[in-house]
Amino acid sequence: MRLKHPFVKISGLRHWALCALWLAGAAHSSAAETGLIARPAPDFALPAAVGNNVRLSEYRGQPVVLSFWSSRCSLCAAQLTALDRYYGTYRSSGLVVLAVSVEDDPQRAVDYARSHATSFPLLLDQTKLVSRAYGIERLPTTVLIDRSGVVRYLHSDDRAGDPSYVAQIRALLDDTLGAP
Amino acid sequence: MNSFISKQFPMNTMSRRLLRMLWPLIVVPLTAPALAADAVAAPSTAAADASSGAAAPAAPAADATGTTRSLDEGIQNLKKDVVDLNKDLFVLEEELLFPANTQVAVFVSMDVGDFFALDSITLKVDNHDVSNYLYTPREVAALLKGGVQRLYVGNLKSGDHELVAFFKGKGPHERYYQRAASIHFEKGVGAKYLELKITDHERAQQPEFEIKDWE
Repeated sequence: MRLKHPFVKISGLRHWALCALWLAGAAHSSAAETGLIARPAPDFALPAAVGNNVRLSEYRGQPVVLSFWSSRCSLCAAQLTALDRYYGTYRSSGLVVLAVSVEDDPQRAVDYARSHATSFPLLLDQTKLVSRAYGIERLPTTVLIDRSGVVRYLHSDDRAGDPSYVAQIRALLDDTLGAP
Repeated sequence: MNSFISKQFPMNTMSRRLLRMLWPLIVVPLTAPALAADAVAAPSTAAADASSGAAAPAAPAADATGTTRSLDEGIQNLKKDVVDLNKDLFVLEEELLFPANTQVAVFVSMDVGDFFALDSITLKVDNHDVSNYLYTPREVAALLKGGVQRLYVGNLKSGDHELVAFFKGKGPHERYYQRAASIHFEKGVGAKYLELKITDHERAQQPEFEIKDWE
């Protein structure tokens, strides 16, 4: 009698179905790992590199884009430039953009803030408490928070100019149901 | 009928025979109440049509408005209940976590603020950091309007304790300014309330930091 390994019997269609299931599971686990999607965004108060302190909960009722960055990360610079552009476009509609620096040396972030005058606040997370609360593992990471303070989207990639960002920002701006 | 049964319910021969036999018993009780209801409703509907005449199309719209209004009222009542429940839970939680015999609460108030722009306050009780609070311009504005903030609430055992508060911000001439104030207090049986007061000293052109013990 010839014994076959059970995986040998898997036909092409089944193989693709299993692949799809695995991908779906992987995507689900990555979202679950962060544990932030559809949950209230952790509140924080941070000093700005230039300007006043900022508390996230004060922006309840407005959609907030939270970007974690570092001056050592070249992709972050492109991300901040793109966010500055979006902020210029949607600021009048109530969009808030906050960039949180996870720099070890806050002076580098201050220098960056002075050399790249962004129109939104660049915040300093020296104790890393905020980046830990948001489970930041890669840079740049962008968190999109809706009007009711709930995390709606999270991107840990460098797709700064991706049109999906704009679509998601517009979805948050159009969402009046989320308003408290 | 038979083909309908066989299409809808694929089953073995015995079950099909049983279902054919029982089919009238299943169908009649299901359809009879609906037919009876139609029969009862029909005369009343006809009477209503005859009496209302042209106003008949407006009736569903009025019903819909009434339903929406009652639904809104229901939602508002529900929201009020949730707020009341949340308040009760908050009070219960406070009583449970910070009983009166061990409770210590520290409040912050600010007056004028011409010589000091508050940035943060760090609190130490018995040389342990218990609070580090950053103030935003909106919070400072609220304090200057007369608001009082509960900065810290915790538990302490009875006896002597020391509270140290570090105030950071911008002093006169926009310079970085840091001052500390401390108080030794005795924690008794009841709750202890302490107030950090920031005032302007006009003659010295400097801010003043004071800790007041509310007996």
